[in-house]
Amino acid sequence: MKFFPQHFDAMLPKNGYPPWYSAFESFYPRRLKKRLDDCFANPIHGVPGRYIRCFNRYSNDYNDTMYYDGTSKPCLNLSSYNYLGFAQSVGSCTDDSIEAVKKYGTSSCGPVNTIAHNDLTRSTEKVLADFIGKDDALVFSMGYGTNANLFTSLVNSKCLVISDSLNHGSIRFGIRLSNAAVKVFPHNDMDKLEKIVRDAISQGQAKTHRPWQKIMVCVEGLYSMEGNLCNLPKLVELREKYKFYLFVDEAHSIGALGETGRGVCDYFGVPPSKVDILMGTLTKSFGAAGGYVAADQAIIDRLRLDITTNIHGESQPPAVLQQISTSLRIISGELNGNEGRERLQRIAFNSRYLRLGLKRLGFIVYGADDSPVIPVMLYTPPKMPAFSRMMMERGIAVVVVGYPATDLITSRVRFCVSSALTKEDIDKILTDCDQIGDKLYLKFGSGIAGGEKVPGDYKKGIRPRWTIEEVLEKTPEDCKHPMF
Amino acid sequence: MSEFTKTIIRESTDEAPEFVVSFASKAVHQWYNFIHFIEELPGGLLIINYIKASHKNDPWRTLLEVLLALLALRYFLASKYSQDEKDKVVLSNKEIDDLIDDWEPEPLVQPLRKDERWQLDAIPSVEGAITKHVNVIDPNTNQKLTDVLNFASKDYLDMSMNPIVKENAIKVIKNIGVGACGPPNFYGTQDVHIRVCEDLARFLGAEQGIIYGQDFCTPTSVLPCFLKRGDILIADGGVNIALQKAAVISRCDVEWFNHNDLDHLEEILESLQDVLSDGPLNRRFILTEGLFENFGDSPDLKRLVEIKNKYKFRLILDESNSIGTLGPNGRGLPEVEEIPRSEIEITMGSMANAFGASGGFCLGVKGMIYHQVLNSSAYVFSASLPPYAARAASTVIQLLEDAEITGSENPIIAPLHQNTKLMHKLFRNSPSLKNLVKLRSSDYSPVLHLRINHELRRQLNLPEGYGGPGSKSLMNLYNLRF
Repeated sequence: MKFFPQHFDAMLPKNGYPPWYSAFESFYPRRLKKRLDDCFANPIHGVPGRYIRCFNRYSNDYNDTMYYDGTSKPCLNLSSYNYLGFAQSVGSCTDDSIEAVKKYGTSSCGPVNTIAHNDLTRSTEKVLADFIGKDDALVFSMGYGTNANLFTSLVNSKCLVISDSLNHGSIRFGIRLSNAAVKVFPHNDMDKLEKIVRDAISQGQAKTHRPWQKIMVCVEGLYSMEGNLCNLPKLVELREKYKFYLFVDEAHSIGALGETGRGVCDYFGVPPSKVDILMGTLTKSFGAAGGYVAADQAIIDRLRLDITTNIHGESQPPAVLQQISTSLRIISGELNGNEGRERLQRIAFNSRYLRLGLKRLGFIVYGADDSPVIPVMLYTPPKMPAFSRMMMERGIAVVVVGYPATDLITSRVRFCVSSALTKEDIDKILTDCDQIGDKLYLKFGSGIAGGEKVPGDYKKGIRPRWTIEEVLEKTPEDCKHPMF
Repeated sequence: MSEFTKTIIRESTDEAPEFVVSFASKAVHQWYNFIHFIEELPGGLLIINYIKASHKNDPWRTLLEVLLALLALRYFLASKYSQDEKDKVVLSNKEIDDLIDDWEPEPLVQPLRKDERWQLDAIPSVEGAITKHVNVIDPNTNQKLTDVLNFASKDYLDMSMNPIVKENAIKVIKNIGVGACGPPNFYGTQDVHIRVCEDLARFLGAEQGIIYGQDFCTPTSVLPCFLKRGDILIADGGVNIALQKAAVISRCDVEWFNHNDLDHLEEILESLQDVLSDGPLNRRFILTEGLFENFGDSPDLKRLVEIKNKYKFRLILDESNSIGTLGPNGRGLPEVEEIPRSEIEITMGSMANAFGASGGFCLGVKGMIYHQVLNSSAYVFSASLPPYAARAASTVIQLLEDAEITGSENPIIAPLHQNTKLMHKLFRNSPSLKNLVKLRSSDYSPVLHLRINHELRRQLNLPEGYGGPGSKSLMNLYNLRF
């Protein structure tokens, strides 16, 4: 910083003004993350559907400035949240959205409680509530904003919120904003959770030992970095016993899990009335944007009146509302006949096939077998840019995640499966992963997670690591078995 | 006692008195017993030999090593529990079960009272598009009232139904679809997003810009990037709720100055000077709005810029309501007072009001914007804006720029200014309303703020103010002091 102050403009004090941010705080982004920056924040154009067109770029000064030459490359898209393939520019959803823009305009023109509570909002909320199985729902224009402002209306400083240690940043932000007391339980550890709840109820608030007004447990349906689900049946059982309120954030699981796509409640067979507040986002499975909250009528009435976003912030623009409404009706089967069922079946097959194939090849894959989020472990940070660049050369766009979203030495590549991918696409992905995995020494697993080649191998000590030809031959049928 | 000890006593008896001698002999005797005892313990011989080897005629070194050993012992044997555990009440399992059975939580939300139910029903239910005239469903009779004049929408420039804007938005939806399907850092940034950032920066005269999905979440995400514990924020008492929450959540030291009272601001800055000059160089900001959402007036920006330059503070201006409405070309409050945008370090704004799209934005210098890309929670953890909204905002900016005429008002904004002036004149000069309502907003504000007049308040038995930072200014207005 002494020799080249022009590079560190924002970090040095100038003319008596303090720096914008400290050099110490930004050490990791500047020195370590910057080397990988060409894997992140790739501008794209076109529909983020089955293929995504990434702009080609290069940098002469280690990713400080990027130069674009205007050309773009179509890559197979494993990076966008497009679980049911609704990111399309043709189809009934798009036609309806265009009609909505023509009729209602481009903007929502104000907060919901002032002017924007129109018939489109009402009908979309009704369709959403029917889909989820709750009394009523509220729709907001940003998923992050839903969580950020929701907790202020539900809990205050005399309430306790117990949240999972791997909860999303928006939930943590919302709880902090509400000033409630927080306790964290280890990820998916139901015994520890029970112990914390018992302690909390019996001890009461800190220092005064008065009883807590409310206790709320916040979990997510599908964790986006791990790919595993919450233990919903056990949580509902604990809820019956201890009378706390349950909040489930179905950001990734709504539309993608379950027989009819109704999320994690559908997947476990738990009636939605057993969960107090079901929150979710509409970006991932529905090709729209924004978030929703679904609960009983009394709660929704109170939230409709009290939530600050409804009173002061903007609401969903009409095109997005129409997209949500149409896609929900397609999934539930009201529109377009079997299209919804076909999409749900395709994503179930795609996620199981890709996951089983990767496990058999010898990669370490986290998460539950049915989840459409497939994290493959890379462990060391340098393998992140290597994997991403090699995949990009082969024409596949992937997302690599490292610190601070995960631990420093457990970086991973996260495949987001979509129902727009065909079986041939997944075959290509498996072949490329096989080649890259050999080159980068990524096959840490023994392959036993994918099942034995011949039954009885495990006892003999044979740990199979399948070759790519065997995988492509056997896996499409095997992945339909509940055993794998 | 050894020969050595006896020798010491004999030699020192000439000078020391009797009791010191006996005390010294007893002490030495105890010391040697102690050393002998340690030698008996397992490993004791090792300790004694180590101390003998490391002593090297330096008693302070041995003393330091002994103290460190004792400290380590204390640390590892100390209780691992936090303070919370210390004031925990010890209960048996049966007692815990009883307490759990007894505990009755409050209902998750309080049921609505009658007046709140009325408030909920009074939310206007609109049918169809939201333009100059809307169709509203009467809550009492459930009948549709047609052609109701719309004074409630924030679409100041009527851009939501503009045919060119709609056409461009439809083109984008035909090409790209509706959603962006990803966070901006993971393949969610499209070329339309980058273009709208460039357009905003060029239109408003800033270096670079960044966009967010919702205008309400922008302040709560931008401020904590640059303000942490130990930094100082001096905010106007009448800022809107998003800015208030942002100030609180960033955990910095916040000072509130009376609404639009720049003398009070100078007073606060003067009183802080000793603290600021002694302490470390922490980040310092002044926060205010271009057009206040709660009051409809503006700060004296020229004087504010002088003050902030004098005391070396940075200025944050939230221009959600003033961009597109104030100034001959709609460039906001700085254009009215002819101040260059570079004097305002952070500008935050909304694309959902005058620009007829959705989302929020933040403008400033390059380094500051780049920091938000990695550190701003609403940017990193949330999906990016739907591309058609970005394109709609771009189109509106283009329309405004194309219609600009140097030397006179922009013809798109001129009607807004005329209507605002007319409305204010009518309300202010109306003889029938003079005793009932008072106009709080300034003449150029497109949002009219009406307050119930003093006498009518007394007649209706309503309080003067309802608490919060705005009520102080009300009390000042009526010269009431509690």
